Amino acid sequence: MQTVTEKLEGMDVWIYHGQINIPNTYSAGAVGSRFLIELRDKKRIMGTRCPACNRVYIPARSICKDCFGQLDEWVEVSSKGTVLTYAIDYEVKPIQPVEHPIIYGIIQLDGADTGFVHMLGEVDPEQLRVGMRVQAVFKKEREGNILDIKYFKPLA
Amino acid sequence: MPNRVAIIGIGQTYHTGRRDDVSQPEMVAEAVRAALTDAQLSIKDIEAVFFGNMETFEGIYLPDHGMTAEVGAFGKPGFKVNTGGTTGASVVAEGFYMVTAGLYDLVMVIGFEKQDCGDTTAAITAAAVPTWAKGAATGAIGEFAKQALSYLETSGAKEEHAAMVRLKADRNACRNPYAHLRLGLKSIDEVLQSPYLVWPLRLLDFCPQSCGACALILASEQRAKKITKKPVWIADLEVVHQEPFRAGIFGDPTGKETYTQHVACERLYKRNGITNPRKDIDMAEIYEPSNWEELNLYEHLHFCDKNEGWKLIEKGVTEIEGEFPVNPSGGVTATNPIGATPVIRVAEAALQIRGDAGEHQITKDINTAMATALGGPNWTVLFLLKRSM
Amino acid sequence: MVKESPKKKAEGPEYIRIKFNAPRLYNWSTGKYLGKVYAEAKENKKLVGNRCPQCKEIWLPPTPVCPKCKVDMGWDWVELPQTGAVYQYTYLVYPLWDPHYGEKWANPYPSAIILLDNGVYYRHWLEEKDKEKLKAGTRVQAVWKEDYEERGQGVQDILYFRTLEE
Ligand SMILES: [Zn+2]
Ligand SMILES: [Zn+2]
Repeated sequence: MQTVTEKLEGMDVWIYHGQINIPNTYSAGAVGSRFLIELRDKKRIMGTRCPACNRVYIPARSICKDCFGQLDEWVEVSSKGTVLTYAIDYEVKPIQPVEHPIIYGIIQLDGADTGFVHMLGEVDPEQLRVGMRVQAVFKKEREGNILDIKYFKPLA
Repeated sequence: MPNRVAIIGIGQTYHTGRRDDVSQPEMVAEAVRAALTDAQLSIKDIEAVFFGNMETFEGIYLPDHGMTAEVGAFGKPGFKVNTGGTTGASVVAEGFYMVTAGLYDLVMVIGFEKQDCGDTTAAITAAAVPTWAKGAATGAIGEFAKQALSYLETSGAKEEHAAMVRLKADRNACRNPYAHLRLGLKSIDEVLQSPYLVWPLRLLDFCPQSCGACALILASEQRAKKITKKPVWIADLEVVHQEPFRAGIFGDPTGKETYTQHVACERLYKRNGITNPRKDIDMAEIYEPSNWEELNLYEHLHFCDKNEGWKLIEKGVTEIEGEFPVNPSGGVTATNPIGATPVIRVAEAALQIRGDAGEHQITKDINTAMATALGGPNWTVLFLLKRSM
Repeated sequence: MVKESPKKKAEGPEYIRIKFNAPRLYNWSTGKYLGKVYAEAKENKKLVGNRCPQCKEIWLPPTPVCPKCKVDMGWDWVELPQTGAVYQYTYLVYPLWDPHYGEKWANPYPSAIILLDNGVYYRHWLEEKDKEKLKAGTRVQAVWKEDYEERGQGVQDILYFRTLEE
């Protein structure tokens, strides 16, 4: 991309239109990788349970925020859950990976003690409500990515 | 009277080029747990947590937002610090200020970097003002190349002297199980034959991109004495900053002579009655992004007279067995997880004072040690550590 | 977002690494001081700095506050000479990722610190690409983009500094 500078009309100020474009990689680590691989290979949503606090973290994480315990007890939670809250995004931003509008939801999956941030689909925004029961829809081609879950749709 | 501050816990990960088995927060957690184990404390004992890295160098904005649990900071006071290359030193300084001011008795300070996730040179280039930096995409390497050339031209040193520094670093790193590059270099020629990155700086002249983290636990005097028999005191520190692209204007435009190091040393040495650093201090862990910069730093930190830095390496003065060991850990040309790097300097100096450095422990008694950090346009942070106050 | 090549290691567990590369666009304002440099370059092919009312030092990049005296610089502009001597230089051997272009790129021109004839240091590129002919002390002169429409890119209105035949 060629960057350009232009003079701001009526001012002695110039504007440089630039970009910062650096290739990056997110390293999921052992726990994150297992979570993503389970999604990809078995369409299972896996969490980790803290035995001290009796809390199940979704997505799985390796350390409990309260007791600092190392978490290694894996549990499968349901792909069904309850919408805790949601928001509808109509503004297109280049970094977002799916088409607009995007309906973001925080979903508490059955068996999980944390909210799971994902998207809601196959739903009329007018029909949305907190407390709505939803279910994960998996993509056919999965690649070990949080977007292997396409979205959550209302339970029939 | 401000509170005295001691280092009572030291932990670091092993450092390497790539860590696929951990996420960034999980890697940091390893250092946190190691420091807690070292101090025989639980995370519940820690009152506040301060940490930092070269935010965005691994493409992650606000790393704090994804690692509160992993660093044991959930629900606690603390914040993230980012001052470029000196970040790790600023984090230690931050913890020091908090304890010396009496706000907390026990804090954790952490530096980290997971460079397998990003491109450091690109990130450094992006950090510069676009008007002046565009087309100068050499990050830190180009800056240190210009310094190397200036040193080569003006000091009387030969390329061989820089190579000798690299060999010392590698020999020391080979004795440090945590070091990243342990190459087993045998001869000066191996260094002199490595390819150029930015002329005249070669691949082996410059620091690697490492993944790693380092954590320290700092305590007030009262708490320190209850917790450990081997506190290492932060006797003093000094911080001096300036501005990029004006670096040269205060003195030498090549950055070989640096205003901030000069000022920082003058203040630190004067306050602590240091007239002959090589006699008054027992060893140093310095931040040398390149072997050439180490020679430069010998002079800037007044370990020797001007244009004599290369004579120190020639005479073996700065070897582990030498009169004034510098970077027995292998230093930055062996290991550079940037945000962690200055914390490692302090940690390694403290381990030498405690006598806990293991295979790379200096044999003579270390009572006073210096740790330095460098970043941005030669920003400088200096620490003076002591066994007893 | 694309997943890195899916090849699994023959031994050991599989670890997921997700590549992402989203250019972040920004609009960066020069402010009126640097704006003056842009205007003089475009309109007059001149390089200017501003002068401190107290210590009389000339600053390039220009500044609203003298870094030495910490006083308001006022609006005293000085045209800088376009000739000088190469003070120090280096060149890129290994192409590195340039975040402004979003690709691996090596500036073919050596990067230099040039001591302008009035004693101000200035960073720019040298036209001379022959490594054998590069040396400190070489007399050089700024070469501007001739097309008015192409100028307006600040200091990049100067293409490079060309060796002066003595
Ligand atoms: Zn717990
Ligand atoms: Zn002034």
